[in-house]
Amino acid sequence: MPRKSKQVEAQRQLFETEARPHLDTLYSVALRLTRSPVDAEDLVQDTLVRAYRFYERFEAGTNFKAWLLRIQMNSFVNRYRRKSREREVFEGPMAMPVGEGVMSRATMRGLTDPVGDAERRLIGQEINRAFDELSDDARAMVMLADVEELSYKEISDIVGCPIGTVMSRLHRARKQLQGSLQKHAVQLGIIDEEDGEFESPIPLEAFRSRKAGKP
Amino acid sequence: MSCRLVRRHLGAFVDGELDPASQIEFERHLEACPGCQENLAFERSLRQLTRESIGGVHAPEHLWGRTLHRFDEIDATRAERNSIEARPMHLRHTWPIATAAAAVLIIGGVMGLPESTPYQGAGMLQDVINLHSQALPSDVQAEAPQEVVRYFQGKTPFPVRPAQFEEPGMKFVGARYIRVGTQPAAALYYNHGGRRLTLLVFQSPEIMRNAHRTHVGGRELYYHNVGGNVVTIRQHGGVNYAFFGDLDRPVLFQLAANARVAY
Repeated sequence: MPRKSKQVEAQRQLFETEARPHLDTLYSVALRLTRSPVDAEDLVQDTLVRAYRFYERFEAGTNFKAWLLRIQMNSFVNRYRRKSREREVFEGPMAMPVGEGVMSRATMRGLTDPVGDAERRLIGQEINRAFDELSDDARAMVMLADVEELSYKEISDIVGCPIGTVMSRLHRARKQLQGSLQKHAVQLGIIDEEDGEFESPIPLEAFRSRKAGKP
Repeated sequence: MSCRLVRRHLGAFVDGELDPASQIEFERHLEACPGCQENLAFERSLRQLTRESIGGVHAPEHLWGRTLHRFDEIDATRAERNSIEARPMHLRHTWPIATAAAAVLIIGGVMGLPESTPYQGAGMLQDVINLHSQALPSDVQAEAPQEVVRYFQGKTPFPVRPAQFEEPGMKFVGARYIRVGTQPAAALYYNHGGRRLTLLVFQSPEIMRNAHRTHVGGRELYYHNVGGNVVTIRQHGGVNYAFFGDLDRPVLFQLAANARVAY
């Protein structure tokens, strides 16, 4: 039936046009989530196949990139994390409290203005190492927010949690990354250990209500 | 505002995700506080370093090709499924194509067509059934019929109005432009006590070929038996009106016969 195939063809073409520009993003996120190029390719392919199958469910006019990433995140969770997921959230690094002053001033200064390509490269390696040590959730957060520069709203759609939760998960992820950088820098003797301000965080809301209470 | 608070939310500040009032307060604090300025510079720098060292990965060349190959498989499976479903209907009577307008009504769940001799209109009937089972989202959701009329102006070569039903439980949900085969068509979605009903408006004498004929409430109806479903056809003023849904056969016959399709 030529009519039918024409219809299928048109849909196929539309999907390809829409999806192709996001291939690098999907792969880059997949690679960072799975930590393996082979798994990353499989994950991206799964994602695109699933998206193509359910293309009709995509609401035209909404964010296609976020839709693809949501499918990918779900595939990743289902495929690679099914068993370890809960344990990781409750017992893993996610459950650990994160202090504020995880990064010493010396480390901070060292990272703020890397001098020359060699230092940049070294820092790049350090960040890669620290990033790969993060939990699945933290890697996803840093990837979506810091690398892909998506908004909190988009991230909340992709990972399926409220914006407030995105904020705290992202904060935690960044602090974990910084903590790891700091620890390693001290271990390598690059910097001396310094007393940080390990205090419990004040929620912005508490600050505001306290402030509002003032005469 | 304390340094501790500013540093706690510096990430969100750099992201531009604070509410405007807080953003301004943060900026004011930062202007006056060298310590927080240093933290801000660091936060920005680390962000950039992270982006540079973690991001910028390109997908391998072969990945897209590999994926397209999977799409080919999906397309092939779809085409196969369509041809199996669209294969054949057993139709005993042949009716002359009286006019170019018809209404089609499909009752019951959507199933494949029974195996039998090929039928030209089957592809179109299958399109009609698929259209219902896919439950595509509406493009226009309007209370006022005029908005629907306006939406279809220039899209379809015939005017489209949401049909009106005598049934008080029949609710108009929305509509969208669609193609049935090569024909531009209007899909109008209704809800009847939680059951979906789709009305397809299009022009095709082909759909009338080999259709059965009956009379309901003094109105002439045509219909096709499609698997376990029935496709009831009504013609009006050069335009085809096709209703199909998850309703019982007599109910749909009644609805089709009594609907005001053009007014």
